Amino acid sequence: MSDQNLVELRGIHKAFGDNVVLAGVDLSVARGEVIVIAGPSGSGKSTMLRCVNGLETADRGEITFDGRPVKPGKGLASLRAEIGFVFQQFHLWPHMSVLDNIALAPVKVKGVARDAARQRAEELLTRVGIAEKAHQFPAELSGGQQQRVAIARALAMDPKLMLFDEPTSALDPEMIREVLDVMRDLAREGMTMLVVTHEMGFAREVCDRLVFIDGGLIVEEGPPAEFFANAQSERAREFVDKIIHH
Amino acid sequence: MFDVLTEYWPEFRSGFWVTCRLIVASFLVAMVVGTLVAAFRIAPNKWLQRLGGLYVEVFRNVPLLVLLFISYAGLRRADVDIGPWTAGIASLGLYTAAYVAEALRSGVFSVGKGQIEASLSLGFSYAETLRRIVLPQAFRTVIPPLGSLTIAMIKNSAIIGVSLLALPDILKQARIVQARTFETDVTFFWAAVGYLILTGAATLAFRFLEKRFSIAR
Repeated sequence: MSDQNLVELRGIHKAFGDNVVLAGVDLSVARGEVIVIAGPSGSGKSTMLRCVNGLETADRGEITFDGRPVKPGKGLASLRAEIGFVFQQFHLWPHMSVLDNIALAPVKVKGVARDAARQRAEELLTRVGIAEKAHQFPAELSGGQQQRVAIARALAMDPKLMLFDEPTSALDPEMIREVLDVMRDLAREGMTMLVVTHEMGFAREVCDRLVFIDGGLIVEEGPPAEFFANAQSERAREFVDKIIHH
Repeated sequence: MFDVLTEYWPEFRSGFWVTCRLIVASFLVAMVVGTLVAAFRIAPNKWLQRLGGLYVEVFRNVPLLVLLFISYAGLRRADVDIGPWTAGIASLGLYTAAYVAEALRSGVFSVGKGQIEASLSLGFSYAETLRRIVLPQAFRTVIPPLGSLTIAMIKNSAIIGVSLLALPDILKQARIVQARTFETDVTFFWAAVGYLILTGAATLAFRFLEKRFSIAR
C-alpha cells in the first residue's frame, strides 16, 4: 500500500466554455516527492492543481489520492481534509484571530480537542516563525506573514499532501524569501508537495522533478538541473530563456 | 406640558412596554426568517432560490397595513383563530424579514470566493462553510444596514396600534389620552419621545455592535 503513488492523474481534460485548459494530463506523484509545476500564464497549471483536491472537477479523466478517487460527492470533504492547499491570495478568514484560523478545522473537521488544537497551532506558528502573532487578526499581518499563517493552517490538519498555487506571486519581493524558507523546510522533512510557482531558484534547489506545462499538456518533465541545462522542447527552452534572462 | 405625562403616566408607560414587546418579538422573527430566506436565496438548489426570491417579492411589495388586514381580519374570516398579538408580530416580523434577507444576501456576496474555497479545502462541507465562514462575515458586514432596518421596523410598529388590531402601544395610548384631554400637541409630543427613546437605543446598540464586530480586511 505504501509503495503505491500518493497521487495519480490519468487523462485529465478540462475546459471552461470553449477554452480548453487541460488537454489530457497524466502525472504520478510518489510519496515524499516534491514537484514544481512551471509554465506560461494560462497554461493550465493552477487548474491542474485545483483538480487534485476537487476545487475543480475534470471533464474527463481520473484522479486518485492515496488510492481513492477524487470526485464530487460525499467522500470529497474527507479527502480534502488530508490535502493542504495554499492559495496565491492566502484567503485567511478575516473575522478570526490567527490562532483560530489555524485551530478551527482541526477542532470542527477532525474533532481534535480545543486545547490540543490551540497548542498545536502555537507550535506551528513557532515553526513558521511568527509565534508572536497568534492573537492578532489577519489584516494586521504583512503578506508574507499571512501566507505563513495559511501554510500553518493547512499543516494543522496533518495533510499527506500539500498543494501550493503560486504561493509567492502576490508578495512583495522581500517577503518571498520567508515563505520559500518555510516551504524548503517542509520539503526537507519529507512532505509530498506539488508547487505551482515561477520561483525557479526554489525549483532548482528544492524539487525532485520539474513538470513543464504548456497549452494544457505536460510538455516536458525531469530533474530541475537537467531541465534548465538542456530542455528538449522548443517551448521549454524559450521558457527557460525568458525566466533566466528576465 | 409635564402634567399630561405625569397624570397619564400609567397609559404612557404601558404603551411603551407594549411597543417594546412588539418590536423585540418582531425583530427576532425578522432575523430568524430573514436568515433562512437569505440562505435559500444563495442555496445551490434553483428551487430554493426561487422560493426565497418569491418570499422577498411578496413581503417587500405588499404594504404592511395590507399584511395586517390579511393576517388579522382575513384569517379570522377564514376561521383561523389568530389574536392581535400574533397577527401584529407576524406581519411586522415577516415584512421586515424580506429586507433583512436582502441585506444579508448582499453581505454574503461581499465574502470572497477564496474564503469559501479555503474552507472547503480544509474539509468543511458547504453547509459548515456557510455557517462558520460566510454568515459570520456577512452579519458583520451588514450591521449598519440592519440597524437602519431595525429603526424602520420600530417606526413601522406604530401602524399596528392605529390599525384594526388596536394593540395598546405607544400611539394607541396617546390617542386615548388625547381623546380625554384634548391636549393634542403635548400628547403626541410625548408619544414621539417614546419612539425616539427606542430608536435611539437601537442606534446606540448597533453602533456598539459595529465597533465590536467590524472586520478589518
